[in-house]
Amino acid sequence: MRIEIGDYGARARQVIREDPQVREAVTGATLAFDAKRRRSYDEIDSDAWRRWAEAVKSHALTHLDRYLAEAEARLIENGAVVHWAADAGEARQIVMELAAENGVRRVVKGKSMVTEEIDLNPALEGAGIEIFETDLGEYILQLLDEPPSHILGPAIHRTLEQVRELFAERLETPPDGNPDTLARAARKVLRDAFLSAEMGITGGNFLVAETGTVALIENEGNIRLTTSLPRIHVAIVGIEKLLPRMSDLAGFLQLTSRAATGQPIGCFVSLIQGPAARPGDDGPKEVHVVLVDNGRTDVLAHEHAWEALRCVRCGACLNVCPVYRQTGGHAYGWVYSGPIGSVLDPGLLGLREAMPLPFASSLCGACFDACPVRIPIPELLLEWRREAQEEGLTPWRERAALTTLAQMATRPGLYRLAGRIGSRLGGSALGRALPMLGDWARERALPKPSERSFRELWREGIE
Amino acid sequence: MKVTLFVTCLADHYFAQAAADSVRLLRRLGCEVHFPEAQSCCGQPAWNAGRNREARRMAEHTARVLADAEAVVVPSGSCAAMLKKSYPKLAVAGDGSLAELAAHTWELGEFIVHRLGVTELGNGLAGRRVAIHQGCHALRELRLETEPELLLRGAGAEIVPWEAQDECCGFGGLFAVKMGAVSAAMADRKLDTLPAVDWVVSGDGGCILQLDGRARMRRARIPFVHLATALWEGVSSLAASPEREN
Amino acid sequence: MIGRSGGARDRILRRVGAATAARERRPHPGALAGDGPDDVVAAFADRFRRSGGEVVAAGMGWRGGELLRWLRDQVPEVTAVATAPDLPGELRPDLPEVAAREAGAGVSVGWGGVAETGSLILPSTGGRAVQLLPPLHIVWISADRIFARLEHALLSLAADLPAAAGLHSGPSKSADIGRTVVTGVHGPGRCVAFVRGALRSPAATE
Repeated sequence: MRIEIGDYGARARQVIREDPQVREAVTGATLAFDAKRRRSYDEIDSDAWRRWAEAVKSHALTHLDRYLAEAEARLIENGAVVHWAADAGEARQIVMELAAENGVRRVVKGKSMVTEEIDLNPALEGAGIEIFETDLGEYILQLLDEPPSHILGPAIHRTLEQVRELFAERLETPPDGNPDTLARAARKVLRDAFLSAEMGITGGNFLVAETGTVALIENEGNIRLTTSLPRIHVAIVGIEKLLPRMSDLAGFLQLTSRAATGQPIGCFVSLIQGPAARPGDDGPKEVHVVLVDNGRTDVLAHEHAWEALRCVRCGACLNVCPVYRQTGGHAYGWVYSGPIGSVLDPGLLGLREAMPLPFASSLCGACFDACPVRIPIPELLLEWRREAQEEGLTPWRERAALTTLAQMATRPGLYRLAGRIGSRLGGSALGRALPMLGDWARERALPKPSERSFRELWREGIE
Repeated sequence: MKVTLFVTCLADHYFAQAAADSVRLLRRLGCEVHFPEAQSCCGQPAWNAGRNREARRMAEHTARVLADAEAVVVPSGSCAAMLKKSYPKLAVAGDGSLAELAAHTWELGEFIVHRLGVTELGNGLAGRRVAIHQGCHALRELRLETEPELLLRGAGAEIVPWEAQDECCGFGGLFAVKMGAVSAAMADRKLDTLPAVDWVVSGDGGCILQLDGRARMRRARIPFVHLATALWEGVSSLAASPEREN
Repeated sequence: MIGRSGGARDRILRRVGAATAARERRPHPGALAGDGPDDVVAAFADRFRRSGGEVVAAGMGWRGGELLRWLRDQVPEVTAVATAPDLPGELRPDLPEVAAREAGAGVSVGWGGVAETGSLILPSTGGRAVQLLPPLHIVWISADRIFARLEHALLSLAADLPAAAGLHSGPSKSADIGRTVVTGVHGPGRCVAFVRGALRSPAATE
């Protein structure tokens, strides 16, 4: 996916002004997701579960080399093939070669953020391979030629009306088709694809070191089909997805589901150890696991940002985020959007490339309360802001204003004088005098200063 | 009890009456209120922008000015959170003054409920239908989840539930000017869900500036009232107009 | 077959080692504390139903004949089934056998169930097409194979892991179109657990 983060402000404004139904659809969907998440957290001792999950992931990340080696060994014992990719290019190359060697013409895919991250689809299409995104939301976006706008509900920014029009044109469904009719039409196309594809490609929610298990959570069944019907299954997994033990997986499957959709567990979970070997098993003859770095070791090395690697991609922080709700994911300009994107993207891509995302937050803190692995997102945002300031990546005007504020605030005489001048000038004059108030006034009426400051009232005596 | 008011720069210049009402309220509850005049801005704008050097300068200035205080009371959840939660992180090694200040700083409502142990505040707000805007820093940094409601009820008000009452107003200091369109859309979500009430009460001037500014641009007149003013109205049981601000 | 790494493996592991070398190693917190439900079978049935699954209380004596009667009664349009290769002959309904993609119903036997999550555990040796392609999926499960907690179930499963296992906790569903829930999107639109044995049973908590 092309990186267009730099235009965040302009794109956000454009979505809000020119495509108001995006805001409406995203707000409605995220509020519903979030309400379910809250109810679901209330059913368990969510505080204890979240602390436990945080500790397991932090343990795994501080022992990652050991667990990666263990997972590799188990997978090989199970008959799977393990590949390693340092960057997006290597990951694409591995999949392309596998496809070419096996004469693959058709690929079915399960929803996977890492395949978006490494730009897999354009590469495969370039080689003449037909790709079917099989998650219903992803399928809609594939028809629209749009990237996902949400980790979990990739098409939440699209309304029923828009999908109706799209399907009527592309799948010849009736113009007033209900969601059932539309889903059935998609199912028909995708069922044929499942039965004829030579390769299934998925991501992986977790990789258990102890058993070499790739675990995937979903509701539609498309991932189970993708990992079961084609002759070859390729799982592309970020190296941060490791869990030490099977008993850890039991907790994470549940907590991730609760955080994501408010369910005790997703309708379908696939636990994949390797290719079909025993009698009765009609599954894939080859299972490949591609372990992808692509910037993750840079994040891991960062003194603070490494904590963002605990992320289980549940989307809870997006759902609860009042900033994300106004625009959906596209405004953020890359795969990972919302609060987690704003702390992860600077680590994966480099801070310069990810500006101004660390500033795309009011620091309201709702994301931390929702996060199942307690990633301190507000603190990480501040950390990236500090680095942006140190590296001179913020506008000079802003830096100058804050330096001036500090100078005034630490000189009481100057501070009082400035306050008096500000009040005397009145709102509109002040607006002309200070460029930042001009920015404020584009969206709001100017604040009215008190007639007399508190300081003056105090001196006169407060009755 | 001796109390030192840290008025905050915003209240000093934009919510002077609410600040004065804080003084009246604290006095009525038996406190002796002090106001060291050398105080200024707590430094939160610099802290939130990632400019720690400037933030530290302002924090150290504030700590010097408030050095003799027994209890510091702040009529703003946001600035109180800056003093209580962020100052300790700004301290240079060996300087305990910021952590010490943090330990005896209180947000106004927090101080009344948890230090003074008061939740009955007269009956001055009887018959008043009130919605509460919960500022993010009071709610999620200081964990003051129920205090505003407890106090307003204790002053006789009827609390009207607001679907978006715990959602961010979109202010966020610099955020409001850097990401103006998103910030305004966030305020719109708050305003669009606001139930019919007599007052909208918030313990944070910043949030009121944002919400009131957006409301006035939309040609709506919404009676925003600072928590200090609302509570003073409750205890004083006077029929004076509460809309002295805005 | 050897995986491709072109030196990436060692490079990545070196970078991981270097990244974590100076960092304090965090301890593993141990098992997540918690008790499962007391009445595991009832809890399983409740959870599974709440996710849209159906539960039939089958007596210990139920066999293929009872299943056939249920099918005729509930889904008379189903005239052919696909059955799992490990399904005991006595649990097979007497209907023509067809490939899973053409069958009106698939009949499997569950390795176990989980009360905490309302899940059926289906090993790949039971044939994945049968579990996934027919619009109706029927799973025989023995009441004494229902575990209180997912952790217990997975640890037991791990002792002899098949190539793959599926946890099915209700029918296939999606809310990707206009936030309206539709069922049977890709996998079975109906999932019915035939629980053999009393619905109140001794807990298999291990």
